[in-house]
Amino acid sequence: MSAAQFAENFLQALSAGLLTGAVYGLMCVGLSLIFGVMRVINFAQGDFMMLGMYVAYYAFGLFGAHLLFGAALAPYVAALIAGPVIFIAGLLVHKLLVSRVSGMRGSALESEGHYAQLILTLGIALVIQNGGLWVFGSAPVSITTPLSSSAWEIGPLHGDLISIFVNQGQTVAAVIAVLAVLGFVLLMGRSRLGKSLRAAADNPEAAIYMGIDVDRAHRLAFGFGVAITAIGGGLLASSYPFQPYVGLEYVIVMYAGVVLGGLGSVAGAFFGGLTIGLVQQLSTLVLPNQLQNTAIFVVFLVIVLLRPQGLFGRAARRT
Amino acid sequence: MKTSNRKLAGPGLAIILFGIVYAAVTGFISNSYYQLIMTVVPVWAVMGLSWNLLSGYSGLVSFGHAAFFGLGAYFVALAQIHWGLTPWIGIPLAGVLGGIAGLVVGLPTFRLRGHYFALAMLAYPLALLYVFEWLGYQELTLPMQREAPMLAMQFADHRVHAFLALALMLGAMALTSRLERARFGLSLVAIKQDEAAAEAAGINTLAWKLKAITLSGAMAGAIGGFYAVVLLVVTPPAVFGMLVSAQALIVAMFGGVGTVWGPVIGAVVLVPLSEILHARLGNVIPGIQGVVYGIAIVAVILLAPEGVFWKMKDLLFRRATKSVPTPPAAAAVPLPITARPDHAGKSVILELRNVSKAFGGLKAVQDVSFDVANGEILGIIGPNGAGKTTLFNLLNGFIVPDQGEVRFEGRDIVGDKPYRICTAGVGRTFQVVRPFRRMTVEQNVIAGAFVHAASDDAARATAREALVEVGLDRHAQRLAGGLTNKELRLLELARALAGRPKLLLLDETLAGLGGGDVEEVIAVVRKLAAKGITIVIIEHTMPAMVRLVDRFIVLDHGAVLATGLPAEVTRNEAVIDAYLGKRWRAESA
Amino acid sequence: MPTSASAGERKVLEITGLEAGYGGIPVLHDVALRVDAGEFVAIVGPNGAGKSTLFKTISGIVAARSGSIRFEGADLLAVPPAARPHLGLAHVPEGRQVFPSLTVLENLEMGAYTEAGRRTWKDNLEKIHAWFPVLAERSKAAAGSLSGGQQQMLAIARGLASSPRLLLLDEPSMGLAPSTADEIFERIVAIHQAGLAVLLVEQRVAEALHYADRGYVLEAGRIVLQGAPRALRSDDRVRQAYLGM
Repeated sequence: MSAAQFAENFLQALSAGLLTGAVYGLMCVGLSLIFGVMRVINFAQGDFMMLGMYVAYYAFGLFGAHLLFGAALAPYVAALIAGPVIFIAGLLVHKLLVSRVSGMRGSALESEGHYAQLILTLGIALVIQNGGLWVFGSAPVSITTPLSSSAWEIGPLHGDLISIFVNQGQTVAAVIAVLAVLGFVLLMGRSRLGKSLRAAADNPEAAIYMGIDVDRAHRLAFGFGVAITAIGGGLLASSYPFQPYVGLEYVIVMYAGVVLGGLGSVAGAFFGGLTIGLVQQLSTLVLPNQLQNTAIFVVFLVIVLLRPQGLFGRAARRT
Repeated sequence: MKTSNRKLAGPGLAIILFGIVYAAVTGFISNSYYQLIMTVVPVWAVMGLSWNLLSGYSGLVSFGHAAFFGLGAYFVALAQIHWGLTPWIGIPLAGVLGGIAGLVVGLPTFRLRGHYFALAMLAYPLALLYVFEWLGYQELTLPMQREAPMLAMQFADHRVHAFLALALMLGAMALTSRLERARFGLSLVAIKQDEAAAEAAGINTLAWKLKAITLSGAMAGAIGGFYAVVLLVVTPPAVFGMLVSAQALIVAMFGGVGTVWGPVIGAVVLVPLSEILHARLGNVIPGIQGVVYGIAIVAVILLAPEGVFWKMKDLLFRRATKSVPTPPAAAAVPLPITARPDHAGKSVILELRNVSKAFGGLKAVQDVSFDVANGEILGIIGPNGAGKTTLFNLLNGFIVPDQGEVRFEGRDIVGDKPYRICTAGVGRTFQVVRPFRRMTVEQNVIAGAFVHAASDDAARATAREALVEVGLDRHAQRLAGGLTNKELRLLELARALAGRPKLLLLDETLAGLGGGDVEEVIAVVRKLAAKGITIVIIEHTMPAMVRLVDRFIVLDHGAVLATGLPAEVTRNEAVIDAYLGKRWRAESA
Repeated sequence: MPTSASAGERKVLEITGLEAGYGGIPVLHDVALRVDAGEFVAIVGPNGAGKSTLFKTISGIVAARSGSIRFEGADLLAVPPAARPHLGLAHVPEGRQVFPSLTVLENLEMGAYTEAGRRTWKDNLEKIHAWFPVLAERSKAAAGSLSGGQQQMLAIARGLASSPRLLLLDEPSMGLAPSTADEIFERIVAIHQAGLAVLLVEQRVAEALHYADRGYVLEAGRIVLQGAPRALRSDDRVRQAYLGM
């Protein structure tokens, strides 16, 4: 392989990594919000993402979003529709199940309910993915848009040697993901609601002394958290085929990103997800394609073992 | 519980009876599908037992037991295909391989706790899954061995598989039940309930966790190998997939963690249920198995978080022992201040030289130096936030000082692990009592007695003595979770005492006690001191202390404010300022 | 001794027969006390006496087993914990407990989470900045980066931002250098003189009793003495409770 060819492959993987990474970043932000506010590891996060993908899929197909918004734009509108739908699902799951082992009720349990939460959300994950198999079927589906099969060509650069193709669909998805993250950061930074969520995350007891309803804060955080990840899922749905078990692959991707960014840090989570996208794509330069995910897991293990506080984030406890 | 006399015979007998019943039922089944179910139930029971051995007892939740299972399955399959190795040898070797894998995984991963541990464990099997796919083992089929089916474990009658599986399960149960009641089980349970307290009680927590994951990995590896032989086909998702780890966890948690029966109950209930539903409804509802497991675990967490076994035991237990009447507390008679020997000029057991520790900008302990004489009772007092507990944590090795020296019997112990310092003869108790709540009073103390005990029996004997010493022997069989505050304080004393300490660090042992209780605990502490144990006790409040200690050290803002005899210290101006406020003297004057 | 004009006219807080504790272990036994409008009441007692538990029971973090707590006549135990601050009760917890990742100003905004706090936000902020100028200077800094004394000021100010009618102060001098603690006490007195009822829990008896209108001595979860600060000061039992001899 010539140097120019390597450079081309590298730049190609770099751009693909940044585009996928931006969407991973959005997904990580959702997971991180839940952990940050509730200190709950939501194992079912990948499955809510999967639900988001199917909501987008049906919103796109059945309800004819493409008729209303045109075939190019519709997949993204469909992805955004996944947000509110999964938000409501999240509120319900929190109210009926998760709230019973977290928050004030969790602190009465052994090791503050951490194990109960982890295992409860594992159960929820199993029900959602296997129930999904029944409802959605096991055949992989995807949202087709003309954008996902067209690309912009950058180049030729360096004489005639290098040209890079940037997928238009992924670019639009990445832009929407970045905008969504910015919107969310603004919400958390500027609004009274966002500040109260951060206060509840910092110190739930003191938040109660301020008159903040911490149970409600947790419920909203869970709802927002799964909704944000679901939007990320909806955005991925137009570039990758998916089936009901897809959540499992992404749960590690998301955790890798969140741990990398420092558990509980929203901005860190975004950059963590971005990094994971880069690792995934750049690993294809040196590793066979099938080992992309193994590369992510190895990175994840190395991070938790060597720097559990994350690379970007503030210090977090190991427990 | 009235189990004490059948403790030895009970579990063994029950396991044998269960085995006979199971074998008899299997013998009568002629339908090969049901025979398969009878084979798969023990397989998942062993996986559950394997998970339980690590996670159930130690509390470190593993989401990755599929790693060991899958390695075992692939090893047996590949060894048979490539080397013609019989599973009769392959399965034990798969166990060895699983054990080694456990050790290799455990060494780095035990640096993590809680969430991080569970998630890191999840990554191992998933990484292996993709590696085995990449290696080209998407579907490995074991060749039929027509000439030597017995050697290849390929029996015409599938019931033989079920009997073999049953034998493996009974073996795993026997092993678990043996370990459960021995030092192994008690140490792991102690770690689960409070790792720091376990370490301070002289338990080498890392070593025990490594032993647990090695054994656990071995069990999972062996049963994975057997599973390959039964199914004849090995695919990465079937042996490394999430559902494998989840099933191990779920059968154990559903049945009940930390007991030999839990995983067995879980497997006996859930495996046939999900298999039969899958057979009946599988084509209509394809994910029914996963849904069953998912619902089962959600229900258990919400309704009976400790599992079916404990829930039932609790229900029965509550009925059986409502009444261990607590004898009325003795009337509060303040003890006279008995003359204590003078310790001035005696040999020094503990010396601190310029010890400092800062957390971020907060100087918790600043340049503290003092000696503790052999046999004395030294009181360390000071207002809230003065650095007293931090000082103890520095002394017993929970934290390492930024600078300074700590010498115990002349040897520098800075940097030693807590269990080593405990073994050297430094026992401690905690400000907020940290009993192992799910264990009986006696078991709590036995866990502390392993430090110097040569055998389980010796530990039991030492524990007995310690319980008599503090006056808790009547309550030996009660659960620690149900004790009163005073009894918990005494329990911690007994646990520390069982480690045969030369020096006891008591962290607010008198806090929150009412008048009569204080006298009782003080009497016990004095008795220990009279036996020659050196005692350093922390307390905020002086009243009880002035009647207990030989000498005071007053800490304020992490530094030594004053030292001296009780009478001197209570008249010390700096002490009065720190305790009652500066205005006190001004306005009293 | 500072006395408030409206003292004795109206009960803000009235606690009777209160029992509370953690898990199975009772900490408070038959506690009774009251705070009148505009009054400054101090609860003193050695550590572990149950002072913080009392405050947490008033705020609802610790559940009461029996007894009653009335705030301006309303039954507080019937009100969910997070709704209690909205009634006009501000709890400044032990160890300050500011929101470390929020800025100083955001912390104050969270203090003003109540309806009353939002309505009077501008006024309150002005007063707060007058009492604690350092909070105006550092308004954009993360609360976690403040010194201990500044965090204590912020915690008090955060309580004031809700426009409360009763301020519960738990150990405001804890872990602070004596000169900083003195400064904090001065502000508390000024705040009280502006008309606010204050219930103070404090280890440093002398300071607490110096400023208070009335005092209670809590020992091992019981009120063992109560009355005028001067009388408590000269009672040798107080000294014994702390020093033992």
